[in-house]
Amino acid sequence: MSSTMRDSSVTEPGVIAWIYGKLSRVPVVVLWFIVMVWSLPTVSLFINSWRARDAQRSSGWWTARPDSLTVDNYRQVLTASATSDLGKSLLNSMAISIPATIIPISIAAFAAYAFAWMRFKGRMQLFVATVSLLALPLQVALIPLLQLYVGGAHFTLPWLDKTIALFPDFDLVNTTTAVWLTHTGFALPFAIFLIHNYIVALPGEIFESARVDGADHFTIFWRLVVPLSIPVLAAFAIFQFLWTWNDYLIANTMVGTNPNALPTTIPIANLAGDFGRNEHLLPAAAFVQATVPLIVFFSMQRYFVRGLIAGAVKG
Amino acid sequence: MRDFIAKLTSTLVAVVVAVGVSGGVWILANLLVNRLRDTSSRATITGRALVGFLIAGLLSGNRLAQFSTVKAGTVWWRAFAQWLWLPLVMALLVVFVTYVAERQSATVRRLGIYVLACGTLGGALAALLNDVAHPRLVSPATYVAPIVCAGLFAGFTASVRKRRRQSAALRGALLGTSAGLFVGAWGFNDLGSGTAAQSIMIGAAVGVCIGAFWALAPRVSAASRFATERRARAAVFLAPALGFIAIALVIPSLRTIYLSLLDRKSKSFVGLDNYFTIFRDDKSLDVSRIGSLITSRLTIAAIVCLIVFVFLAARGKRRTGHFVEFGSASMTPLALGVLFGGFAIFTTLRGTLVNNLWWVFVVTSFSSIIGLLIAVLADGVRLERIAKTIIFMPLAISMVGASVIWRLVYISRDSSKPQSGTLNSVWVGLGRLSTGEGLGKIVFGVIILLPTIGGLLVLVRHLVRREWSRVTMPTAVFALGTWFSLRYWQVIGAGLGGHQFSESGEFTADPINFLQESPFNNFWLMVVLIWTQAGFAMVIFAAAIRAVPRELTDAARVDGADTRQTFWQVTLPQIAPTIGVVATTIMVLVMKVFDIAKVMTNGNFGTEVLANNMYREAFSNLNIGLGAALAVLIFVSVLPIIYFNIRRMSRMT
Repeated sequence: MSSTMRDSSVTEPGVIAWIYGKLSRVPVVVLWFIVMVWSLPTVSLFINSWRARDAQRSSGWWTARPDSLTVDNYRQVLTASATSDLGKSLLNSMAISIPATIIPISIAAFAAYAFAWMRFKGRMQLFVATVSLLALPLQVALIPLLQLYVGGAHFTLPWLDKTIALFPDFDLVNTTTAVWLTHTGFALPFAIFLIHNYIVALPGEIFESARVDGADHFTIFWRLVVPLSIPVLAAFAIFQFLWTWNDYLIANTMVGTNPNALPTTIPIANLAGDFGRNEHLLPAAAFVQATVPLIVFFSMQRYFVRGLIAGAVKG
Repeated sequence: MRDFIAKLTSTLVAVVVAVGVSGGVWILANLLVNRLRDTSSRATITGRALVGFLIAGLLSGNRLAQFSTVKAGTVWWRAFAQWLWLPLVMALLVVFVTYVAERQSATVRRLGIYVLACGTLGGALAALLNDVAHPRLVSPATYVAPIVCAGLFAGFTASVRKRRRQSAALRGALLGTSAGLFVGAWGFNDLGSGTAAQSIMIGAAVGVCIGAFWALAPRVSAASRFATERRARAAVFLAPALGFIAIALVIPSLRTIYLSLLDRKSKSFVGLDNYFTIFRDDKSLDVSRIGSLITSRLTIAAIVCLIVFVFLAARGKRRTGHFVEFGSASMTPLALGVLFGGFAIFTTLRGTLVNNLWWVFVVTSFSSIIGLLIAVLADGVRLERIAKTIIFMPLAISMVGASVIWRLVYISRDSSKPQSGTLNSVWVGLGRLSTGEGLGKIVFGVIILLPTIGGLLVLVRHLVRREWSRVTMPTAVFALGTWFSLRYWQVIGAGLGGHQFSESGEFTADPINFLQESPFNNFWLMVVLIWTQAGFAMVIFAAAIRAVPRELTDAARVDGADTRQTFWQVTLPQIAPTIGVVATTIMVLVMKVFDIAKVMTNGNFGTEVLANNMYREAFSNLNIGLGAALAVLIFVSVLPIIYFNIRRMSRMT
């Protein structure tokens, strides 16, 4: 719009100017309205988790009074019971999330360094191919992976009619190992992409001078790259931890039938599925499940945001 | 508590051992490569150790060797250890042999050591075989295969190599003989018909050939050693990641495509039958209601909006020369028209495939728009961090948890009881206010009137100032507020909100069963994902907006553009690539969304999506063929996005 239109503005009396002045604050009101709407569901869950079963069933969370709150739901959820043994599944979630976070970091860091600072034929094509797998939906690999864990991989030689095992059967199905192995595989394209974006932006002169001093790639990687890229490694660790802790699909596929290996999301989903007597435990259980990621999120938010941005904006 | 510590310790030990062992192997590989420049034998050693490892690994992986047979029900890591020990020992022995042999400068001595040692190793491996694995020595295949292979290999290498053709042919013949012996003896014969002695003889013969092949390898020059070092190092750095990706992603994906062409038990080939099953099923694609598309209120609204758009855009073109322009008055009706049109189509066509498209359409656009809106609104506001953190927080909550949270919002109870769900309580409460009387009704009515009047005021101001591009938003607010007020005060219709009147004229609540009333229950499920993803979009957009060079916006200001124009004409085009990234990321996520549909409705009431359908078919109904076909469909639907990403990255580098 040209500035001539602005100049033609009519002069207004004080009251109207005051009203328009107030109207200019509308965006802030809208913002805080959205923020309120966004936080309401979580708040309602939190309040309901402290309310007794009958109260939850008969009235809304906003009717809660401080004196009617109870810790019974949490006690019931955390102590072993037939319906939801959340204590045990918290341990299983740990047993999945910790290896699934640490192992891909190291593997991906090697590859990211190679893609960023080594010269070899087909480097770019290989990198693009690897990173394009980022968008691969994990459903595509799920059935064969489960088959691999159940019985290994076999190949029948054509014409010879002999079957050989390419990947022996280690009886991995229904173990937490199967879950974190799967997570590791699926995390790698994103991990390589994220870490590569960071490493490739490091100043190349450092590496050049180190090479002149006789350092090889192995030394440079350990002595220079790893210490310098701690922020991005932390960012990826947070991502991967949240993702593996919150995962439901892979865990349900790989260990869904072994009650001793279930991570937290599965008992909660089961609890939500049976619409039954124990539905009042759902808010407490969901809140316990969310506590760990929320702690990680709030304590490391800075790294988390930085990682998100590095993954999206630079890419 | 003791359980906890035990489990934690065992987890940590497992991690430490896994990282330690693989890290150790990796560092060893690196150290080997480190020495490559000094002498070629280290590379030779690595390669040959790998050959030994693979041969022994094949034997023990197939449980053919003694001691490596595993009883059923063994813990996985013990089974793993039993598989691993033989290949490791074999690799170490090969390393030793190669190391000793490569130190000899005389070719004859080298040949002698290699032939003797490898023959022994081959024989020893064969001696370790189970009784069931011994082949017959006297059979045509045992003799014909090596001769044929030797001829083929020798011919091939001789034709490929330009220099030193004879020695190349000799080595080819040796390699062919060993491969032919191996395949001929164990591949073509009925296993178990021979004796251990026969096995050992063939094994030793294979070993001798491989040994001679290694001994006759030409010595490499320093320059080529240097190149080898570089390649080997890259391979060592890349191998773990690429290996994992190949085993966990690439090969399974290809196998899924193959499985989708087989029947439910993967027994026989059925071609594209599984795909036909999907597309012929009414549950996947139901077009029977297509006629009602014309009469749908949403269609009419979409058409009206699009007419308004065309009108405004034509006016805009006359003034600015652009038919479509960001931030112009015609944008709001266009957006609304597309939105209404999309909803009209997605609510008349039903089925899994349509639902998925609807998810992509709604979640991607809403998350991006809300994210962008918040990023803009919160920029520089007091307490910006707190606002953003609250919007962002749902990203840390699992989809299962988010579904549980939103169930509380959506609960619908019998109309005779008080509503305990947030949304229904609001909805029924609105009905109570609108149809009731007294102070509450007046207060709420006035609260609604305020933004309506505000909208009118802004509208008037812009009209007076002839700022045509800015009138659509206040018009929309004013129109919406007026319509709402007219309904609320019962000027039009019988009042707003969830209510109905019994025959005696009594107020009865009429809650909405958000999760069961098709087709809009789909939308209520999408809200859950929007709730988590808007924060993601917001963070990215906020960073992108901050990354727009100040000079650009300042220059626009100097040229007389106001905040609004600067945003639409300068900032938005600058962050357009980021919008693409965010949209594609969310699209990929939406295509594989599973948890929400599974937890909230399990695909009932017309809310099935591909991912949940795939899970049900493959893992509940055990129809592997159909499940794989559905997975392939999900894959195909993200292929354009993968292509887009590849193009973007290729351009970037």
